[in-house]
Amino acid sequence: MDADIQAIRDQFLGQAFDEKQFEIDPIVTAEYARLCGETLPKFTDPADPDFQASPTFVASLSGGRSLPAGFPRFGLGMDAGKGIECLQPVRPGQPLIGKTHLHDIYTKTGRSGRMIFVVARLAFFDEAGTHLANSDSRIVMREKSA
Amino acid sequence: MTVHYIEDVEFGSDLPAFIPDTSLAKGAQFAKLIGWDGPRFNDHEGARKEGLPGAMIPGVMSQGFLVAMIHHWAPSARIINIDTVFRAPVMADESHTISGVVTDIDPDAGTVEIDLTVANTKQETRVFGTATIGLKAGAD
Repeated sequence: MDADIQAIRDQFLGQAFDEKQFEIDPIVTAEYARLCGETLPKFTDPADPDFQASPTFVASLSGGRSLPAGFPRFGLGMDAGKGIECLQPVRPGQPLIGKTHLHDIYTKTGRSGRMIFVVARLAFFDEAGTHLANSDSRIVMREKSA
Repeated sequence: MTVHYIEDVEFGSDLPAFIPDTSLAKGAQFAKLIGWDGPRFNDHEGARKEGLPGAMIPGVMSQGFLVAMIHHWAPSARIINIDTVFRAPVMADESHTISGVVTDIDPDAGTVEIDLTVANTKQETRVFGTATIGLKAGAD
């Protein structure tokens, strides 16, 4: 691990830097599911007794900011992928609280130089504080040449 | 073939191919629904003015296609996690195919791992990823 990356990890990993409340509209999640090709009523029919948002719905939600204040700008950030972890169903119609922290920072070095990968995790909770899901956004920054 | 229990799953088997609706109309409708309305998702000419080859399907919609395919194959599957890499844009109004292959089965944990791909008609991979799903045992 490069010393500068280790220092950034020590400073930023695991510290919540953003919190946002989301109102999840059942009509929106049902339409989201239908447009993705879901056919199961528990995702497409708000009247279904087990109605829930489709597992990837939380990936469409964004916090107030994706990087903490003071995080170094290595270069232009690009979307390198999305990961979703489903712990409990997300029930539309109930408030959802999203808290963001940096989950991982690592590098890959190739012929074009060093690339810095940052995983920003938006963790979702219900009003009772039950952890429902995680949405990880991987951002890759190509380091500016010196 | 529809899968109901973990015993039904065979290592290395392909999930039934899934043809997603990647029309501009559906992509634009999806983008508007989640508040991502803009030329890159609803207008080929407008997207080209932004330097893109044309309007794209939102990445999270592609992720939704992958999960829908899993549910078509295994309606009782519980998605535990899915990780996707958006390697190249999924272009709107171009046909794409979604495929999946079972790469691991853990009967004790009740989990199945699936490699997933979204490819265009040139067989170019646009999105790839891995999902872990939970399935019950038949005896449960």
